[in-house]
Amino acid sequence: MIALKPVHPPISCSSSGSKSGPSVPVPMIGFVKLPSLSFGLNGGNHGGLSLIQATEESTVAVTNGEDPPQMVTNGKAGNIVWHPRSVGKVHRQELLQQKGCVIWITGLSGSGKSTLACALCQALYSTGKLTYILDGDNVRHGLNRDLTFKAEDRAENIRRIGEVAKIFVDAGIICIVSVISPYRKDRDACRALLPQGDFIEVFLDVPIEICEARDPKGLYKLARAGKIKGFTGVDDPYEPPLNCELALPPKGNSCASPSEMAETVISYLEEKGYLQA
Amino acid sequence: MITLKPANPPIYCSSSGSKSGQFFLVPKIGFMKLPSLSLGLNGGNHARLSLILATEESTVAMTNGRAAAVVSGEYPPQMVTNGKPGNIVWHRSSVGKVHRQELLQQKGCVIWITGLSGSGKSTLACALCQALYSTGKLTYILDGDNVRHGLNRDLTFKAEDRAENIRRIGEVAKLFVDAGIICIVSVISPYQRDRDACRALLPEGDFIEVFLDVPIEICEGRDPKGLYKLARAGKIKGFTGVDDPYEPPLNCELTLPPKGYSCASPSEMAETVISYLEEKGYLQA
Repeated sequence: MIALKPVHPPISCSSSGSKSGPSVPVPMIGFVKLPSLSFGLNGGNHGGLSLIQATEESTVAVTNGEDPPQMVTNGKAGNIVWHPRSVGKVHRQELLQQKGCVIWITGLSGSGKSTLACALCQALYSTGKLTYILDGDNVRHGLNRDLTFKAEDRAENIRRIGEVAKIFVDAGIICIVSVISPYRKDRDACRALLPQGDFIEVFLDVPIEICEARDPKGLYKLARAGKIKGFTGVDDPYEPPLNCELALPPKGNSCASPSEMAETVISYLEEKGYLQA
Repeated sequence: MITLKPANPPIYCSSSGSKSGQFFLVPKIGFMKLPSLSLGLNGGNHARLSLILATEESTVAMTNGRAAAVVSGEYPPQMVTNGKPGNIVWHRSSVGKVHRQELLQQKGCVIWITGLSGSGKSTLACALCQALYSTGKLTYILDGDNVRHGLNRDLTFKAEDRAENIRRIGEVAKLFVDAGIICIVSVISPYQRDRDACRALLPEGDFIEVFLDVPIEICEGRDPKGLYKLARAGKIKGFTGVDDPYEPPLNCELTLPPKGYSCASPSEMAETVISYLEEKGYLQA
């Protein structure tokens, strides 16, 4: 009999040593009695096994489900060979119990993108989901610090953010992007980087009068005074999305709070299956 | 009595409503009897609470003196009226690196694997990734080759673009570390200056430089991508090790394979890295 302890996640194994044999689920901690001499792992297995003990002389097993690998000699060289599989997006999503996606929040300066991003992040964190915010302002101090506000650099700013978001999605993270991203072409190019469904465009449809009245960073005032050129909404266009997944605030509830708007996004994520592996 | 259920992670609350009051550990799922009329949350709390039921009419709870709606640890938020407006006010904290690390039960860091082409960087990265995954740790590999097809596809192999390639990889790794992830970078990164610039982006200790010290003869003997052959034939210019220098690290955290054990397997070398991570506390929150 072989005593096995699957480390993570739940797995099944085949006693015949081939994918075609019947699969035996391995209990989380327990014993599996496998009559045959060889031992194979179900093709769908991504978990690790640690061999606790082989009690029969003919039983050979070695796995590397735990580190360091467990070697069992028991008189003979231990050899359950774990065929290593590369860790991919599916595995990371299984670990995190969620699916990676980008929530791309677009809108005028002062429309509430960062506020919504934070509310969303907190709400998702409180349910144990891993998110990360890529905020246009922050990224311009790090990755994109070599870029200016000239038209071509603005496009490059968005492109790089899209590529980083793509990497985060591959890592299994719910990546919340908060950038004005005023041009449809640039947003669509980022959408095209991701599998269908994984790019969730959220348009904060707030009239410029409200944004300007908030003017949280004092930029509208500077723009109106001519001290900033090419400021979106003042002397540079904002192209609203034509086919976004969500437009907030919802029609008929224009005073929706950030928490309420976050709830709308979360309902969407839940409905589309992103809040489970 | 107030019934509370902390969602994640473990939290404490004060029955006095102020930071100086006595603190109670809120059980994962359970009941708390709090004698006083107000309920405050420990200033260090970042977790969320959902109020399930307030069973005493006189029970009201405020955390920061603001009258506001209930914020809950579960979604959708739980509102309790119980005859009076329910008001446990959650003083919102932004979710930061500490919270993410708590969620993941690990600390973010960069494992920067540097060495000649064919020294085994990608192989070690994969072995490390698998070994860490099997213990429930979240990692992500930034491989120089992959990044050049996405984020860095606008870059060439000219000297200034090579530096920019490394810089951007360093900045992305920094974001991953902030996200709480163990980011494994696998790039030749031949210049000390460029590697040091990436090191400088991160807090002390979070940049773990691993030098794959494999003689060029062995790397060239492997030649997994056929690049040494092309370089020797003059078909590739500026190929590291052939007609471009590799500057080995002067002060890296780990050099592999270990002295006296040059045939260490990728799994064994991965174990060495993992022991280092464990020792430095990166495999726990």
